[in-house]
Amino acid sequence: MSTKTKSKTTYQIPVGPIHPALKEPVMFEFELDGEKIVDVDVSLGHVHRGIEWTGMRRNPVQVLYLAERICGICSYCHPMAFALATERVAGIQVPERAEYLRVIHAELERICSHVLWAGVAAHEIGFDSVLFLTWQIREKALDLTEYLTGNRVTKAITMIGGVRRDITTDMHSTINEGLQFIKDNFEKLRRVYLDDKTFRMRSQDVGILTKEDALKLCAAGPTTRASGVRKDVRLDQPYFAFGDLDFDYVTPDVLTGEVNGDVYDRIVVRLLEVKQSVELIEQCIKQMPEGEIVAEPKVAKLLASLKKIKGEGIGRMEAPRGEVIHYVKYIEHEFPYSWKVRAPTYNNILPWIPMLLGEQIADIPIVAASTDPCMSCTNRVAIVDGGKRYQLNHEDLHKLSVEKTRRLMK
Amino acid sequence: MTKQLTPKEIVQSFTDTFKTKIKNPRIETHAAGSKPTEFIHIWMNVDKSIFKEAVKHLTTLENYPHLAVASGYEWENTIELVYHFSIYFGERCKEISLNMTVVLPKSKPEIDSICDIIPGALITEQEKQEMLGVTVKGIPKDKRAFVSDDFPKGMYPWRKDETGASGKMVRNLHEGDK
Amino acid sequence: MKFSMLPQVLAQMFKKPFTNKFPAKYQPSSTTNFLKAVGDGNASIIPPVETPPGFRGKIQYDKEKCIGCKLCIKVCPCAAIEYKEKEKKIKIYVSRCCFCSQCNDICPVNCLSMSNEFLLADADKYSKDLIVE
Repeated sequence: MSTKTKSKTTYQIPVGPIHPALKEPVMFEFELDGEKIVDVDVSLGHVHRGIEWTGMRRNPVQVLYLAERICGICSYCHPMAFALATERVAGIQVPERAEYLRVIHAELERICSHVLWAGVAAHEIGFDSVLFLTWQIREKALDLTEYLTGNRVTKAITMIGGVRRDITTDMHSTINEGLQFIKDNFEKLRRVYLDDKTFRMRSQDVGILTKEDALKLCAAGPTTRASGVRKDVRLDQPYFAFGDLDFDYVTPDVLTGEVNGDVYDRIVVRLLEVKQSVELIEQCIKQMPEGEIVAEPKVAKLLASLKKIKGEGIGRMEAPRGEVIHYVKYIEHEFPYSWKVRAPTYNNILPWIPMLLGEQIADIPIVAASTDPCMSCTNRVAIVDGGKRYQLNHEDLHKLSVEKTRRLMK
Repeated sequence: MTKQLTPKEIVQSFTDTFKTKIKNPRIETHAAGSKPTEFIHIWMNVDKSIFKEAVKHLTTLENYPHLAVASGYEWENTIELVYHFSIYFGERCKEISLNMTVVLPKSKPEIDSICDIIPGALITEQEKQEMLGVTVKGIPKDKRAFVSDDFPKGMYPWRKDETGASGKMVRNLHEGDK
Repeated sequence: MKFSMLPQVLAQMFKKPFTNKFPAKYQPSSTTNFLKAVGDGNASIIPPVETPPGFRGKIQYDKEKCIGCKLCIKVCPCAAIEYKEKEKKIKIYVSRCCFCSQCNDICPVNCLSMSNEFLLADADKYSKDLIVE
């Protein structure tokens, strides 16, 4: 931790490494002048579990399940990106029906993730009743996931060359029921998040990320789309069956007509994406062709053929938080020689620095949560003020954020 | 908006500017979906002496190229870093992935930082330093990104030789008491 | 509008809550006494929500069908399956299982399947309930 401050009147406060507003344990060091943030420093690495090291000692099918447990919310994207990379090295042709099935599961996960995030954002502002409303909507989406895959979170539906379970026509009615529930409640969500005065006061012109910063720092996902950059892997480099479907980039000017790059714009982008995902699932169910669901149904034969491949490949996917990329290198051995995983949040951490400069402490939870980092935990925040050291725990920081809302509402 | 080149023209512009320092360029076409939609991955081997100029040359093709990540592995006596760039995003089905492999000798694994061209490369360069033992010259902030500060210096987890993670740093949880 | 959630909150006061109150409506003052009362028939547990078909719960093993090919061991990501050399059968540690059901898919004689049991919490990792053989 650095001890040099910019001027004599500022003091430093570390936030992290584990903190409720931050979904990954990240260590921030803020330099404050009164309530305003003057300088930010970010450091990472507190949940490093050595997954890539472990992956280089497992065969590809085992790595799929290891990859699933990298993250609980984006638990579909990591095994899929790994499967994409392996399929490109091995030259495996995925059947068409499997591609459409993969799209359905990916969009369902996107709905669950964005609705969860909406609840967390409301909680950070202090609007707990909205948290329960959004998570009630999410329950229906999770029930649908459980019906289709067998579990609510760790779906285990990926296989190299396709998917493991099919969607038969008798399942269509349950799916349509679930989607209808989400569509009916979408208007409620839209009214609360986008029209409510409190939300607008707390989120407009807060945490601004300019378009140039977003491009230079290589941000990904809704964080960069809210600043007006048109970057979406599903459209730029279509994988699965996205090339056949009809949709467009989601930037805030679709709804509001202007792009500011603040927290409000990120809320707009995520809510519009939920609507887009529901439409994509409906398109898929209509257009899905008949056929096989996996290129090689006998797993033992698949493993034997994967032992003989050689080469390197990348698999890129659009997770709910941004671009996921996996790089694999095979050398005719049972285990992959090299495996690199890059989760989308790592690219969205550097943009925190320009976003937080000039903001107040009570805005830290909502700005950090607006980029949707991945995980939540508790720890204490130590404040060094002059010579005295006293500790705030996460409830106090959350209380500060809620108190600001109450002040603004008066 | 700079004019978009075809993959062959992209490879041509690199080989014309850098001649023999670009080796083994290959263009892979992959397809997905029912139509099918095709997309291109370009791979090339870039010599480390002109790596920074190659990245600058890339900015002439696209104003702000997107650096996804830099992966790396060791191979016999060398350490190879693969930088994954992508250009021409923003329009449907037009993005091209460009992967540059840089080979560094294990005796002197040094490479120039590209943080002045692409500021978003900071975290991935810090990761290469601690995971593979590469020295990135000119990195703006030299500190450990992912590995904790009390991890032993000189131990590089991604390496498979004697400097790889071993001994007390590895706990085999499944070999517990059964 | 300042109180956009107000109609929603008021409506919820008259509707049945979305939460299924499993296992009891209010937390009992003593869990062991509550469980004893359930065993005696004096109290009842509100049942959990039904699991859908295809739910991946505790693994079930048909010992007669097993041929000892060890393919399930090769593909298990958690090293939860052990091979018993003399009998040529397997032993599964449910405490290490991650419920991926990959072993079900690869078994050539279909002797493994997933039940819908999910209430598997136990104080001892290697108790009889958590070892399938």
